[in-house]
Amino acid sequence: MPFTDQEILETVRMIELETLDIRTTTLGISLLDCADPDLESTCEKVYAKIVHHARNLVEVADGIAGDYGVPIVNKRIAVTPIALVAAASGARDLAPLARAMDAAAKEVGVDFIGGFSAYVHKGFTNADDALFHSIPHALAETEHVCASVSLATTRSGVNMDATARFSQVILDTAVLTAGEGGLGCAKLVCFCNPVEDNPFVAGAHIAIGEPETVLNVGVSGPGVVRSAIERLGPDVDLLAVAETIKRTAFKVTRMGELVGREAAQRLGTCFGIVDVSLAPTPAVGDSVSDILELIGVDRTGAPGTTAAVALLTDAVKKGGAMASSSVGGLSGAFIPVSEDEGMIRAVRDGALSLAKLEAMTTVCSVGLDMVAVPGDTPVATLTGIIADEMAIGMVNSKTTAVRIIPVPGKGPGETVEWGGLLGTAIVQDPGRFSCEVLHRRGGRVPAPIQSFRN
Amino acid sequence: MARRFLTAEDVRRAGGREIVVEADTVVTPQALEVAQAAGITIRTGAGAYSEPPPDRGPDAATDSRTLPQRPEPMVDSALGPGLVVTAVGKNRPGVLAEITSALGQYGASVIDISQKSVAEYFHVVVTVELLGGGSFDELKQVLECLGGEDDYIVRVMHERVFRFMHRI
Repeated sequence: MPFTDQEILETVRMIELETLDIRTTTLGISLLDCADPDLESTCEKVYAKIVHHARNLVEVADGIAGDYGVPIVNKRIAVTPIALVAAASGARDLAPLARAMDAAAKEVGVDFIGGFSAYVHKGFTNADDALFHSIPHALAETEHVCASVSLATTRSGVNMDATARFSQVILDTAVLTAGEGGLGCAKLVCFCNPVEDNPFVAGAHIAIGEPETVLNVGVSGPGVVRSAIERLGPDVDLLAVAETIKRTAFKVTRMGELVGREAAQRLGTCFGIVDVSLAPTPAVGDSVSDILELIGVDRTGAPGTTAAVALLTDAVKKGGAMASSSVGGLSGAFIPVSEDEGMIRAVRDGALSLAKLEAMTTVCSVGLDMVAVPGDTPVATLTGIIADEMAIGMVNSKTTAVRIIPVPGKGPGETVEWGGLLGTAIVQDPGRFSCEVLHRRGGRVPAPIQSFRN
Repeated sequence: MARRFLTAEDVRRAGGREIVVEADTVVTPQALEVAQAAGITIRTGAGAYSEPPPDRGPDAATDSRTLPQRPEPMVDSALGPGLVVTAVGKNRPGVLAEITSALGQYGASVIDISQKSVAEYFHVVVTVELLGGGSFDELKQVLECLGGEDDYIVRVMHERVFRFMHRI
């Protein structure tokens, strides 16, 4: 017998009871050759190229799920930051490109397409400026398109002018999608040190330096880690907890490696990376918060939570790194608030404040994610929240992100239901003190001394 | 000049009765519409235009050669294209017979089988090899329809999944 019963039943249990899945197979497509002086022609090329390359993505992913008995939940597309593609056209309104991306996503049957993006961590090109201008109505008019921007890097510092502008983009997007609780902002994220092969939305895109096409895989599995720690019980020490998480992450990543190799071969493209990220969903048991509480805090947000996140993120990365030479992307633990039932409970119980969440993001793999704030939050306050998060990423040479939703018409403590994977949020209080002067100053937070590494 | 795309604007500008494109040019749907409306034929040097296979880029060819060379986790005993069938549920007479007869019907040869019962519950793990002509899809569908919610549940997975997860 090549495998023991225990091994076989462990895998079956992970998939059947602990919601282990391949969260996404994301096909990256370079759109650089779609640039055209005429915007309409650019849109035609963008649509044609995406459909041309991704036509059989869903079929291939479903085929692998069938042949291997492994669930592949989402099929997605990541493209070149659109500001680069649109630059040659000189257009001021790039929403037509978002509509072309949206139509292509619909045509090939993927749920999201990422890459309505710009890199402005040091400054704006005219096309970046046009993209910022276009984001609110592009997101309001489309269903599947996700937008992301790079506002800071360790090498260049934090572009505070861009941060202030982005805060206004968030507010405008929330107003234009007010009917859905500001949901357009769930498809909008900013980064410090963006990951250029990220398969997860809303930040998925393919930066320059990536191949013509590439297949990236995102694996998840908070439920598997949660169960493993639950079986371990509360009496073992933290080294045993870390070791258990590492072993579990290893197995989860191996499944991603298998699916990535197979999908790349069937599509005839390059295998890029496996992103092993514990990404929670609102499903019961599929919670990162539950893991933190099993590690030993009464509620997520209680003292000790940041240490627990640090242990978890590091152990996931180590397990993943041993399992595949292609581990990349954001790999670690996501702590989105609305998408995680345990996080919502922690906010409701008063355990998890915005300040504590920020502390947790210093050691998680991404940042402030799916956080709801009042719809009338001043733009300067949003700038301050984002600048803080960007500064954390910049100084620690890590990726940080902010996906924040000012919910129109809602105040602190009120609940907003977005439904589906986006879950439920309780509007959090950003406090009554703002940072008007910092917001107005603009300019750049200079790159930190640790950026001089050559 | 090699052309990556032919757009509606290109067609309007070209005019004439026909446009000859490279074999790997992607003609946009809008270009096809405009050409059709204007009675312009789009063709390649070899004949009528049809959408070329996707050009995945220069790295794709390298990867298609090197991907199969990457080491795979090995198991002790050689196994052909194998499947692992598991059934878990309430025990009753005839469960094993139902599973094995379905396996036999679809050309699956049993390599290894193990069954355990605890109180009224059981689990069965069957490792099978698909012999020539056996269809994975059909077998999987038939097996996964066996049993039921209050009876037992069958899952069929490829042995490669277990190899990747449990072997180095």
